[in-house]
Amino acid sequence: MSNSNWRKLLGIMMLMFLLFVAACSDNSSETGGTDSSGEEGESSGEESGGDEPYAFSIMANLHTPEVPQDKVLNKIEEATNTDLEIQWVPDNNYEDRLNTAFATNSLPEAVFLKNQTTFVQFRDAIEDEQFWEIGPYLDEFENLSKLKENVLDNTMVNGKLYTLYQGRPLSRQGIIYRKDWAENLGLEAPKTTEEFMEMARAFTEDDPDGNGENDTFGVTDRSDLVYGAFKTVSSWFGTPNSWGEKDGQLLPEFMFDEYVQTMDFFKEMHGNGFINQDFPVTSKTDQQEFIKNGTAGIYVGSMGDVLSLKDDAIAINPDATFDVHNYVEGPDGEFGIWSIPGYGNLVMFPKSSVETEEDLKKILGFFDKMMSPEVANYAYWGMEGEHYELVDGAAKVTDDSALFDREVKPFQALEIGEPETNSRYLGYFEYEPKAKSEELFIDNENYLIEDPTVPLYSETFSQDGARLQQIITDATYQYILGQIDKAGFEAAVEDWKSQGGDAIIEEYNSSK
Amino acid sequence: METSTISAREEAKQLKKARRSETWRRIKKNKLIYLMILPGLIYFLIYKYLPMYGLIISFQDYKPYKGIMGSEWVGFEHFQRLFTSDEFWMIFKNTLMLFGLQVFVFFPIPIILSLMLNEVRHSFFKRSVQTLVYIPHFMSWVVIVSISYVMLTLDGGIVNAIIESLGMQPINFLLNEEWFRPMYILQVIWREAGWGTIIFLAAITAVDPSLYEAARMDGANRFRQMWHITLPAIRSVIIVLLILKIGDVLELGFEHVYLLLNSSNRSVAEIFDTYVYVAGLQQGQFSYSTAVGFFKGIVGLIMVIFANWLAKKFNEEGIY
Repeated sequence: MSNSNWRKLLGIMMLMFLLFVAACSDNSSETGGTDSSGEEGESSGEESGGDEPYAFSIMANLHTPEVPQDKVLNKIEEATNTDLEIQWVPDNNYEDRLNTAFATNSLPEAVFLKNQTTFVQFRDAIEDEQFWEIGPYLDEFENLSKLKENVLDNTMVNGKLYTLYQGRPLSRQGIIYRKDWAENLGLEAPKTTEEFMEMARAFTEDDPDGNGENDTFGVTDRSDLVYGAFKTVSSWFGTPNSWGEKDGQLLPEFMFDEYVQTMDFFKEMHGNGFINQDFPVTSKTDQQEFIKNGTAGIYVGSMGDVLSLKDDAIAINPDATFDVHNYVEGPDGEFGIWSIPGYGNLVMFPKSSVETEEDLKKILGFFDKMMSPEVANYAYWGMEGEHYELVDGAAKVTDDSALFDREVKPFQALEIGEPETNSRYLGYFEYEPKAKSEELFIDNENYLIEDPTVPLYSETFSQDGARLQQIITDATYQYILGQIDKAGFEAAVEDWKSQGGDAIIEEYNSSK
Repeated sequence: METSTISAREEAKQLKKARRSETWRRIKKNKLIYLMILPGLIYFLIYKYLPMYGLIISFQDYKPYKGIMGSEWVGFEHFQRLFTSDEFWMIFKNTLMLFGLQVFVFFPIPIILSLMLNEVRHSFFKRSVQTLVYIPHFMSWVVIVSISYVMLTLDGGIVNAIIESLGMQPINFLLNEEWFRPMYILQVIWREAGWGTIIFLAAITAVDPSLYEAARMDGANRFRQMWHITLPAIRSVIIVLLILKIGDVLELGFEHVYLLLNSSNRSVAEIFDTYVYVAGLQQGQFSYSTAVGFFKGIVGLIMVIFANWLAKKFNEEGIY
């Protein structure tokens, strides 16, 4: 290469280096900017009482694509006199980040856990006193002491309390379906599993949208046996919730006939094309897309999703109408629905980062204030007049729901307790099916099927349960797709038992 | 007393100096050049060798809060568990199968592609093709796998729409163990084949043009020229790249395989990387997954030594 070429190359490299440096410094100035605006909010705060704001970090689940803006956070900081750093982790890979942070001893002061499964995984560390036991302190805090006793009991480890919980309705499961399609075909909401199958068939074969083309199918499902359609349908058939009692012994759900009946039900739907053919690899986004774009007519899952499904569906087809429904009887003439143990998420306080009792009390003080109506409303609904308005004492999200999703929704992940205990506003919904879904959550409480293993402990399950469950999940899908038969499924169950399942059964039954 | 120890020490020093003086003299002479290696050496020490300290946890029942010093030693328990588990042979076989596809199916493709590109006379056409084939390299696996998913799904995918319009039964590409391997290697070719041509094309341009001229004089056609001149000329490059490829034996693209993995194809698609991820990061079995990763590393090392030995057998240079 000639001299001038070298010079050119050098020039380009220098330019790239400069760009790199510029990009970095830009970034830091940006964060600096938000920090200073946070301080401004602080100084204008009223009741901070001259105390220095207490600074700590929280690791929390992010359910939206983007990290929220600081507006709501500033309000929360102001009201609680804290300086928060929230480490948002996308919910999809929360487990990895949680385990990585734990393994490298870099957990922040307050850590949300995601769900019951991760809580069970951490049980070992909790027993080893790696996290603060908070039971004895709760009474000192006005709001935290209101948390429900029976839910707290579900989260205890050896009778001690280590976590604060985030409340959830016990069961939000049900059906969302295209009401206009059902009306076109003269169908009612399904009250039995047979009628459900009939609706799925009619939505597939009888041209529910009346366009003369065979371009629709019944049920849209995704690659999730729990929060997808499968577990809810299995409840209709009377399958126990994860574990159930048979002849006085606790056994996993997949050793019950009802579980096999549910698989047969799905196999029939899949074989006839009443359900999306690739549902074992379909993402939640794609699953919802089928109902939004008018390809599928039935969605089994959380009934609260009806609002967002409708909003997107009418953008494509303004005539689409939806309804929600919960009550579906199985062949035995009874309706049942699985429930969660009363909490959605849990927050823990690692001793590695919270060093003194004094710090712990300050952090608990923050969560205590989070449970006051004022702060709970900031976190859940945002600012009145800007993100929501009050209608009959309930919060109605303003028309700009994108703004709400961007600025407020992520902070809902910080909620502690539930409306009954933290007195935040209930939602006001103009959209009738959404309001109905809230009523059906309460109706579901009459038919709950609870998981009997929630207060029990199995060491094998805590260590190896997730891996073992994979055997059953794989076999369930393979059975539904017709890749294995009943004997093949039973072989998988035997496999599960021999690889550690027997020990789990034994341990659960002895800890009863 | 004092003076005698000092002189003894001095003497020892002198002796050592004499022995090392030759090496030192050379280093001193070229000290600037040695200084230039230093950043590289430090990089390898800090980022490649130091972290190996963590391998210790594969012999422990590692608990993060107890740390490496405080965790209990369990010897080879985790390795025992790995070798006796039902999944071990399945994973081992799957890993080797994908590795075989990489070496025997994928590896020759960039070579063939670059030989073909080299024969293209029209320089504009050649350059555009070259650019077009290496662009997929800059797409992430998520994009590649998603595009395949959209095309291959039974629920409105274009490929099955075509198959059906031809009057054939639709094929369940995504939920079928037989289709996993073809899908895997086709995606690898799609993404990496163009990128792989860069080094070969560079090697080809370095071939002395007078050799071709001489061959043409002797009446060699283009195919002969390619066979007798181009290929032998880039042989050493091919061998070095092959050894490097074999060294990557177990780097089959975790992200790629993990994205393709599902309940129906696990028996052919589970490889060491995905197994380590699920067991280690998702389920928190740190020691066990480190043991699995350690084993994988050892297999990789053996393969590199073997490939290098093989290269030397054939009188080629090898990488060390």
